[in-house]
Amino acid sequence: MEILNQIKDEWNAAKTACLNGITGAMKFCKDEWNGYTRNIKITLLVLFGLVGLFIIFGIQILGWGLGYTDMSNLYPFGQWIIGDLGLVGLGGGAFTMGFFLYILRVDKLKPLINSTVLIGFMCYLFTLVFLVFDIGQPLRAWFGYAYPNWGHGLMPQSMLTEVVWCLTFYFCVLIIELVPLPLEHPVLQKFPFIHGLTHYMHKLMWIMAAAGTFLSFFHQGSLGGGMWGVLYGKVVWYRPAYFFTAIVAATAGGTAFMALCAYIAGKVMKKEVVPWDSFQTLAQISGVLTIFAFLFQAWHVYMQATHFVPAFDRSFLDIWGGYYGIWMVVLMFAAYIGAIVLLNVGALRSQERFFVAGISCGVGAISFDKMIVVLHGSSTPNFPWKSFAGYNPTIQEWGIFLGGLATMILIYMLFAKYFPLFPHLNKHGHGEEHAH
Amino acid sequence: MATMKRKWGMAIDLDKCTGCGACSIACMQENNLPMFTDDSDSPKRVTFLDLMRVTNDRDTDKKFGDVETAFIPKMCQQCEGNDPKNPKPPCVSVCPVVATDVGDDGVVSQIWSRCIGCRYCQASCPYEARVFNWWKPDYEGSFKEGLSPDVSVPSRGTVIKCTFCSHIWKRERDRMLAKGVKDINAVLYTPSCASACPTGAIIFGDLNDQASEVSRLAKDKRAFRLVHTIDDKPEEEKKRLMAIKHYPNPKVYYLSSKQWIKDMQKFK
Repeated sequence: MEILNQIKDEWNAAKTACLNGITGAMKFCKDEWNGYTRNIKITLLVLFGLVGLFIIFGIQILGWGLGYTDMSNLYPFGQWIIGDLGLVGLGGGAFTMGFFLYILRVDKLKPLINSTVLIGFMCYLFTLVFLVFDIGQPLRAWFGYAYPNWGHGLMPQSMLTEVVWCLTFYFCVLIIELVPLPLEHPVLQKFPFIHGLTHYMHKLMWIMAAAGTFLSFFHQGSLGGGMWGVLYGKVVWYRPAYFFTAIVAATAGGTAFMALCAYIAGKVMKKEVVPWDSFQTLAQISGVLTIFAFLFQAWHVYMQATHFVPAFDRSFLDIWGGYYGIWMVVLMFAAYIGAIVLLNVGALRSQERFFVAGISCGVGAISFDKMIVVLHGSSTPNFPWKSFAGYNPTIQEWGIFLGGLATMILIYMLFAKYFPLFPHLNKHGHGEEHAH
Repeated sequence: MATMKRKWGMAIDLDKCTGCGACSIACMQENNLPMFTDDSDSPKRVTFLDLMRVTNDRDTDKKFGDVETAFIPKMCQQCEGNDPKNPKPPCVSVCPVVATDVGDDGVVSQIWSRCIGCRYCQASCPYEARVFNWWKPDYEGSFKEGLSPDVSVPSRGTVIKCTFCSHIWKRERDRMLAKGVKDINAVLYTPSCASACPTGAIIFGDLNDQASEVSRLAKDKRAFRLVHTIDDKPEEEKKRLMAIKHYPNPKVYYLSSKQWIKDMQKFK
């Protein structure tokens, strides 16, 4: 009897503690919500709505298959692959920044590194998430590790095998790079062990930066360019040296993307999250890299027009018809030129509006490049009696794509609010007066 | 163990083809392919053998009565790349999980149950010959009771393709083995599409055997290969182009006495 009473008391105590916990959490959420401005509330509602769509359509696609997409036997790759290529390309800013900060010791980039590592991590995480949705048999995703297509030599035979392995290794590197960020929270820093751990992790981070640079060179090249360049039967895709273009384009567009994300965060938070000098340094780096990316792209167009397309007995201009044809190429080059001019001319770059336009152009150029690869590659007819194909993503594809991006934004917001994403804020008392 | 001597190939006489579609139906039944309610011309349909309809009014403004039509049965062209001794079909090297390979008989295989459904092979195929199971396979009425036990039933989310009905060859080899014949080269076979063709337009056989009908037809004046315009170039030019890139070099030949069908193989 006594034991029963004791259990009852303990049960009641646990119940009360639980209820108190829930009430406390609800009160915390309510206070948080009431503390937000109207615009932030609307943004959050939209973002959570998209996450809801992501979950609903995610279940539908995983449970009932890819028939609900607008992809078809003529159009095997769609929006999620554009997302994959775009996210990995733009996430390439993470390894570039790591290289410049930890290997070349450009210390001005330090205020940007936490934000960059988080974005890089999320870009790769959601690349893997989109890939899981995109493959027809997600439960067989591990086959890539168990039965890799290594061919007969040391180099992998399939570019996708290379992508799977390199992406996984680099994702591990990004996890290690990300660990110090949550551990740098003031509450956790009170523990001497954690304090010491983060300190030494920062000291040794150059090793991760070097490993990341090494790995990224391969998968940026293979996913962005090599995967397509080896398709010798396809007139739009066949560009053997596209591998190197993709690497350079990722370093250029990726650095611009990292600057753009931090800039937008500063605008939303109405604080100087990163010193203007750091933004300028990063923009300068991005500008120089964009020149190289532009030269590589221009060389490719020249090689395509004079060598590769004629080898298919087709004319260059003929293959650039259809819905996603020459206009997208023109737009991509316009974005490249915009980024080169605005980011390399000091007088323009130092003006905020031109700086924003410049980094947006850098992000736009690489995004257009990825869209051209996926959309136009499948669109171009393989038989002379067929016409250019079109692709119109379904609501399921949009839901998962935008929902994935919304989740990324929410995680970024969470880190910006509760973790030292921008160390500059703590050093300089939030710096509202210097807001750009 | 006997060395493989065979290299399977096909010749399709478009002058004889009436476009009846019996080959396509036979292929679907033999390979356990699903048939959905509306499968008429859907880009998501699952079929190995597609009947492509071409007309001669692409380049000229033909009037009613002058327009000619031809049907081109198109299946996997079993490509081998520039060097037949070291075959490199565009779809094989790209597979990340070795679900597809090219056999020493020249047939490009596909393992349904190994495929993860990434569709990279589908993107690489210049002949749109590979198909993906967008939906769970569906079989109308009692069709399911007649499924062939020799072929895996396709599952949703995998890429499948024509294998020249190589399971029939396996079946025939097993039958001969039971009779004591161990040499695999002693066994010939006919894929279901060739068996079903009522006009005998589809001829299947060994391209290594110079005496075979398919070898003779492949060298015929009327022969051409689908969108493989390098065949028409002079030898020097051919060598120059092959130094730039691989060409599919398919093992399916088409025959036609109509020049416009051959002209149609070139992009304008």
